[in-house]
Amino acid sequence: MANTIRLYLTCIRNTLEAAMCLQNFPCQEVERHNKPEVELNTSPGLIMNPVLICRNEAEKCLIETSINSIRISMKVKQADELENILAKKFLRFLSMRAEAFQVLRRKPVQGYDISFLITNYHCEEMHKHKLIDFIVQFMEDIDKEISELKLSVNTRGRLVATEFLKQFI
Amino acid sequence: MILLQSPSRFLLQILHDRLLSQDKGVDIDCQTVEFDDVRYHIQVSMRNPKVLVLSVALPLPPEEAASFDGLPFGAIEAIKAAYGPVVQILDPPKDGFDLTLKINLAKLPSDEEQKNAILLQIASIREVVLGAPLKILLKNLSMKTVGPEAGQPVALVHRPNESFFVVPQADKATVVYPMRFLDSIDIVLATSFLQEFVEARRTAALNNAPACMWSQSPPPELKGAPESALTANAGFVTFVVNPRHVEGKKLDRTVWNLLTFHAYVSYHVKCSEGFMHTRMRRRVDTLIQALDRAKSDAEKLKKMVTGPSFKK
Repeated sequence: MANTIRLYLTCIRNTLEAAMCLQNFPCQEVERHNKPEVELNTSPGLIMNPVLICRNEAEKCLIETSINSIRISMKVKQADELENILAKKFLRFLSMRAEAFQVLRRKPVQGYDISFLITNYHCEEMHKHKLIDFIVQFMEDIDKEISELKLSVNTRGRLVATEFLKQFI
Repeated sequence: MILLQSPSRFLLQILHDRLLSQDKGVDIDCQTVEFDDVRYHIQVSMRNPKVLVLSVALPLPPEEAASFDGLPFGAIEAIKAAYGPVVQILDPPKDGFDLTLKINLAKLPSDEEQKNAILLQIASIREVVLGAPLKILLKNLSMKTVGPEAGQPVALVHRPNESFFVVPQADKATVVYPMRFLDSIDIVLATSFLQEFVEARRTAALNNAPACMWSQSPPPELKGAPESALTANAGFVTFVVNPRHVEGKKLDRTVWNLLTFHAYVSYHVKCSEGFMHTRMRRRVDTLIQALDRAKSDAEKLKKMVTGPSFKK
């Protein structure tokens, strides 16, 4: 079970390396506009086939590419009620700071927990392989953070309970 | 500070300051609010520098919790027993408050240790007044007697418009708390905390602590209780208190711990949320640093150079 995370992330990394070939493409419909084509979804000639990578039923990653932008959506594992609210809280926290992250999308795509939108401008500003490193590290960090938050809640609960019950002895 | 302390720091500070600065003439008129809607108002005027007037407001009791003249059952006797001649109850209490006391600093015992003990007791006025009915029930338990309410759940106030229940019996007292929280995140965190209570009790070191159970639906002990009290979104916690837990010196501590159980859990839920926020902010900073590493050096150089632009 622990090994599948490596395979999952390697698969995502390889797909991103293949898919992240973005070039500047001015909008075909409106003059002097330059929009991320993956968001508009108008012309089939500009969009490539979306790739869905599933680790299991609960965790998956959707990568949609177009000529000038790529959209990566993730669904995070949520085993029980506590993990559910921790994940929701944490991802909402991140999404609200999307401005600081530049490549993060403010609202996740329908059916997923968090989404990234990378445009050709980002690729021009940043090294492509470092950008992919960042995305993969982000995914790992989310998983780690949620399990650490859950552990801290359980540890605190145990400590609080022990201190309280010790009072009666 | 993991446990909630019985003496109120606000009152203790003012009492000590007053004792230290008895000759300096400064009027005091302070109000404060503590958790669960308990308000204090303390006044000293320079006309009687040895007299403090302390008014206390208590949380609004729900219908099922009996109260005589706005004070919990047995509160007046408890005050007289705890403070003796130092404190006098003023009737009627000040407007907006449930109890007003006149504290006479001149009547404090001269022995330093006894004086500090009485001041500590005065600062614990909340435990004395709100905990009075619970103390009577638990005192009966320690003497292995039962009052007229044996076997029936007795409703006691611990939060505004909410009560918890005590079922007194000859050999044990069962205390049931319906746990209610407003926020949905609080509910999930509190449920996980309360289940830890049950788990922690099972460890060998805590064998002598009161037995602890948690259930989503009202436990059978609450059969005689009114309907409105039986809804709780974070379940019901049951403690079984034995005479061993309330003998001698342990009685006061047990009363305080049981009285403020809900406040204790709520306090730690909020601390937990605060801690999570701090962690999340730290994680966001780490991720943004990682993103910065991805930026090419040319871009970074462009951003760093902010001098005046050329004019040809």
